Amino acid sequence: MRTLNCLLLAFAAAAPAAPLAAQAPAAGPDSARFIYATPGETYPYYAGLPREFWPFNAVEPYERFFTTRMPFRGPGRDYPNPSDLKSLRIGLLDSPKYDANWERSVRTREGVVLAFEEANRSRRPGQLPFELVEREGIAQWGGAGNLAVDFADQKVLGFLGTIDGADAHVALRVTLKTEVVIINTSDPDPTLTETNIPWLLRVLPDHRIEEARMADTIVRRFGCRRIAILREGDRYGRLGVHNFMNFARRLGCPAAQELLFSPGNPDIPHQIATIKDARPDAIFFIGEPADIGRFARQFRLAGIQARFFGADLLMDDRFLKEAGDAAEGAMFTYYFDPARSDPLWVDFVARFSRRWGHAPDAYAAYAYDGAQVMLHAIDAAGPNRWRIRDQVCNLDYYHGVTGWMQFDGTGSNIAPVRLVRYEHGNRVFEPQAEFTPPAAGGL
Amino acid sequence: MKPHRSPLGLALLGLTAALSLPPGTWAADRADLARPEPAPLPFPLVARFENFGEKDGLPSHKIHCVLKASDGRLWLGTGNGLCVRGADGRFRRYGPEDGLSHPAVLSIAEDPRTGDLWIATMRGLSRLSGGRFTSFTQTDSGLPNNVVYGVAVVDGTVWAATPAGAGAYNIREKSWKIYDHNNAPMEEPWCYAIAPGRDVVYIGVWAGGIVEHDPRLGSFKAYRDPDGDFQFQLTPDSGPIADITSWVAYDDGILWQATYFGLSRYDTQEATWRTWVQDKTPLVSNFINSVFARGHVAWVSTDRGACVTDGTTWATYAVDEQGRGLVRIDRPGGAPETRRMATRLADGFVTAIWADDHEAWFATSNGLSHAVFANQAAVAANP
Repeated sequence: MRTLNCLLLAFAAAAPAAPLAAQAPAAGPDSARFIYATPGETYPYYAGLPREFWPFNAVEPYERFFTTRMPFRGPGRDYPNPSDLKSLRIGLLDSPKYDANWERSVRTREGVVLAFEEANRSRRPGQLPFELVEREGIAQWGGAGNLAVDFADQKVLGFLGTIDGADAHVALRVTLKTEVVIINTSDPDPTLTETNIPWLLRVLPDHRIEEARMADTIVRRFGCRRIAILREGDRYGRLGVHNFMNFARRLGCPAAQELLFSPGNPDIPHQIATIKDARPDAIFFIGEPADIGRFARQFRLAGIQARFFGADLLMDDRFLKEAGDAAEGAMFTYYFDPARSDPLWVDFVARFSRRWGHAPDAYAAYAYDGAQVMLHAIDAAGPNRWRIRDQVCNLDYYHGVTGWMQFDGTGSNIAPVRLVRYEHGNRVFEPQAEFTPPAAGGL
Repeated sequence: MKPHRSPLGLALLGLTAALSLPPGTWAADRADLARPEPAPLPFPLVARFENFGEKDGLPSHKIHCVLKASDGRLWLGTGNGLCVRGADGRFRRYGPEDGLSHPAVLSIAEDPRTGDLWIATMRGLSRLSGGRFTSFTQTDSGLPNNVVYGVAVVDGTVWAATPAGAGAYNIREKSWKIYDHNNAPMEEPWCYAIAPGRDVVYIGVWAGGIVEHDPRLGSFKAYRDPDGDFQFQLTPDSGPIADITSWVAYDDGILWQATYFGLSRYDTQEATWRTWVQDKTPLVSNFINSVFARGHVAWVSTDRGACVTDGTTWATYAVDEQGRGLVRIDRPGGAPETRRMATRLADGFVTAIWADDHEAWFATSNGLSHAVFANQAAVAANP
């Protein structure tokens, strides 16, 4: 995060245990792509954002959390490996079929499957193959909890998933009881990793990272003062704008309006009329790309000239298709430039395209990276869930196909995101140097 | 930041993420060992631990919960079945083959009117009555979700805390009610603990603090973290320390909230809160699995040992790096005293405790501990 401060608080407190030495030759990514925690290490506070973005930033709170990583202090690391294994089982929690996240879940699966196929092709004699245990999500509250229990019953060594924030939270709580580590590759809910349950790593930068960048852009760069927010009326929408509203307010520009819509609603005349009356100079959207595109077009037809802003879902073709000319100038955050020339990325795109017949998106790419971290951890730690947890949750930096990741005290990737704008129907990425950790010569 | 550190906090500052306490952190002062207690403690002190593991017949190293029933029998919820300790000291296991809905048992409650046991498992709620199991799942009853983290029996109603809401089963009427984000002050319906209060029921809610429900009035009241953020505690003693509640317990007008960010105490008579975090207070770890309330005393299960406190005086039982048992006593205004014990907890990762005036039982991630209380002046000293 070159443009943002990485404040290191000098807290002398408990630190994660040092990673275990590799017990078997690692398959997949080179070990140089993994940088692990060191004893006594402290982490950037509040996702490494500048102090002006912090809540109550003018006072010192009684206690800060997540300046170190919550260790797992329970037993298990010395338990003998199971002797009857025929494969190394890893779970994948998909979204419910036909859910709003289903297409993203399919792309996530493609990234995971590719990682498994490649890893299994490179197994050496005597090494057990990796086996993917898939479970389709259950479209009801708590359903992910049942599936997380099922994963434990299936004796998986860890699992990947899920996109939906509620599912991810529910599954995480189960893992504290079942002691099976999760790598989340696709849920942007900032609160997911703020639970202090030491069985989770998230490789996707969350909404907090995106929204700080966007609030800074809207208020400081463009000088907007009347911000309207239009978001989905659900948990994704609520959490999707929560930090943005706070950040904008802390920069001296509280949102003028926050209006909600139901996903799939064809038109929203009342919201549009209300927002028009407020004469906004910026509108920040959170929702499904087709909905946002459709509403962006309706805003322009209503004569609203405010700038449009949003998060990563505006990258989706459905936004452009629905918005048409209204997309012009819309600005959003995204995780990386798909046109980047990093050899890891270029090679991954080629292999992915050969396997699936189309290019990967962010969901596929982060899923591939998350799967690589999991597979590497299992090879390094052996088939012991507690040692695998140590490998996964003691990671500080990882160089994936999506670029270098930096994990904070909550175990969430806080690598900087990119700014993108639509120009003549094209996505134009603003220039930004690739993030590189200090140990790899960056910052 | 210049935190106020108690001597205990300073002593604990060097703790690492290891399984046990590092050498020297809690070095016992031999001179203290024989010294009589300066004043009676407001709770019993453990003289020694008797430990039980898989070699003693427990079906799993992982013990999730412990309950001593009114008939004196000890019940355990383990990672591999429900267990009862017989009069001969042997453990008998019940599993799915006996009718239990799932082998992982997370919580057990006794119906004080019938002696029936209600057993929370990771795939349904089971009832043990007359030696027979009956199970309730989300597909054959009104149970909101199959993962049942906590269970309590209050006035003929069985309360089950699940990630899809709190289910209330009226035993006589055989009817269910579900309390979730649609009809109670919860942003999400993720419920993790139930504690009977005085005429009310407390529901520990993940990201929702504590919900107090009065079944007679049908009313709700939510207790939330006043600073509204997971990344810090703005001021101490101002409300629940965090909205992520891992357990709740109530007795004699005092409500305790366990979280992974510290411990909270609410005096329902005075409507005042107190909070504790590690390093700044005697609390040994912020990561609290559960809390057991008896009178004004809380028995706190953490990942770094167990604490007993009335909110003023503390006794903390831990295990050092050499595997030795330690007890640390923290009195108001006094220097903390650390004593080596002849015995130790089965493991420092304590998941649950049951206690009365005569004994305590500690469920841990690596076995079960029975605590024998001592005359306070006769704490075993065996370096």
